[in-house]
Amino acid sequence: LGGGFFSTIFSSLFGTREMRILILGLDGAGKTTILYRLQVGEVVTTIPTIGFNVETVTYKNLKFQVWDLGGQTSIRPYWRCYYSNTDAVIYVVDSCDRDRIGISKSELVAMLEEEELKKAILVVFANKQDMEQAMTPTEMANSLGLPALKDRKWQIFKTSATKGTGLDEAMEWLVETLKSRQ
Amino acid sequence: MYTLLSGLYKYIFQRDEYCILILGLDNAGKTTFLEQTKIRFNRNYKGMSLSKITTTVGLNIGTIDVGKVRLMFWDLGGQDELQSLWDKYYAESHGVIYIIDSTDEERLSESKRAFEKMITSEVLEGVPILVLANKQDVETCLSIPDIKTAFSDCINKIGKRDCLTQACSALTGRHQEGNDLSRITAPNNRRDGKKN
Repeated sequence: LGGGFFSTIFSSLFGTREMRILILGLDGAGKTTILYRLQVGEVVTTIPTIGFNVETVTYKNLKFQVWDLGGQTSIRPYWRCYYSNTDAVIYVVDSCDRDRIGISKSELVAMLEEEELKKAILVVFANKQDMEQAMTPTEMANSLGLPALKDRKWQIFKTSATKGTGLDEAMEWLVETLKSRQ
Repeated sequence: MYTLLSGLYKYIFQRDEYCILILGLDNAGKTTFLEQTKIRFNRNYKGMSLSKITTTVGLNIGTIDVGKVRLMFWDLGGQDELQSLWDKYYAESHGVIYIIDSTDEERLSESKRAFEKMITSEVLEGVPILVLANKQDVETCLSIPDIKTAFSDCINKIGKRDCLTQACSALTGRHQEGNDLSRITAPNNRRDGKKN
């Protein structure tokens, strides 16, 4: 009976497996701001991410390894290198960027076709809700083609990363949902 | 020989698959009903703690096996704005479970309007409907006859389809045994399920 046995028992009792979350979305959607809002609870000054940021976030006793991948056109093809073992995808969309919602949709659709993400939960952050003209959840769902997803759990949250609204609610939901799947 | 064996295998293990849509106003208890159903029918499913369930703005899914039938559930958000997404699922649905909050007399007419809109959809014509009067564990709730009376003027819109109203408490799981899911998949109820 090695330590491995006990650590397995321990983690099955207390559910300490680290969850792997990807934060994806187009450039300028607010992914990095969200990551650091979740981690340090503050708004940090960000620059466009070239590559990725990775941080460990603890929320309600659940440890998350959160990957924030750069969203610019040239680096989106590299997202797929990070797909394996992902428990949930937080897809961040700028709710005011109607011009690029189509691009956001096609990136999302392509991503969800990947075998490695088949079991991942999809959480859409309709971000920048503090702005006027922000899209409603229904508009967002339709623009992203979410009603076409028939075998994946998905949920939309209205968020404002700069104001900090909606994030707690979303994380709470994510924690409960992931716990029920352990 | 192979054909014979594979035919036998299929005969024994093949399940007919049906898609069931769970609809109703927000806070009616749709997600709680789905979770409770998953817990009851899937032996190894731990489930979410029912008290932690929040408003759905999206889709929850679940699969259960009842005898030789596999039911796949789609639980959609019920908020007013989100109801416009319901019809995107109609074409592929074999049955609808419509859930009513029996403790919310104020919104009963709103629920009736949403129900009426749903049953008059051409795409859902002939699709069987199970109406569940939920939250029957609350003492002050409306009874089944009360609810039937409130919904009485849409009875003629139900048309030629199976429609059954039952009491239920998704939270406690009581009354749930009686919920006759099999009615939805009865052979006289059109739309063939997908054979696997």
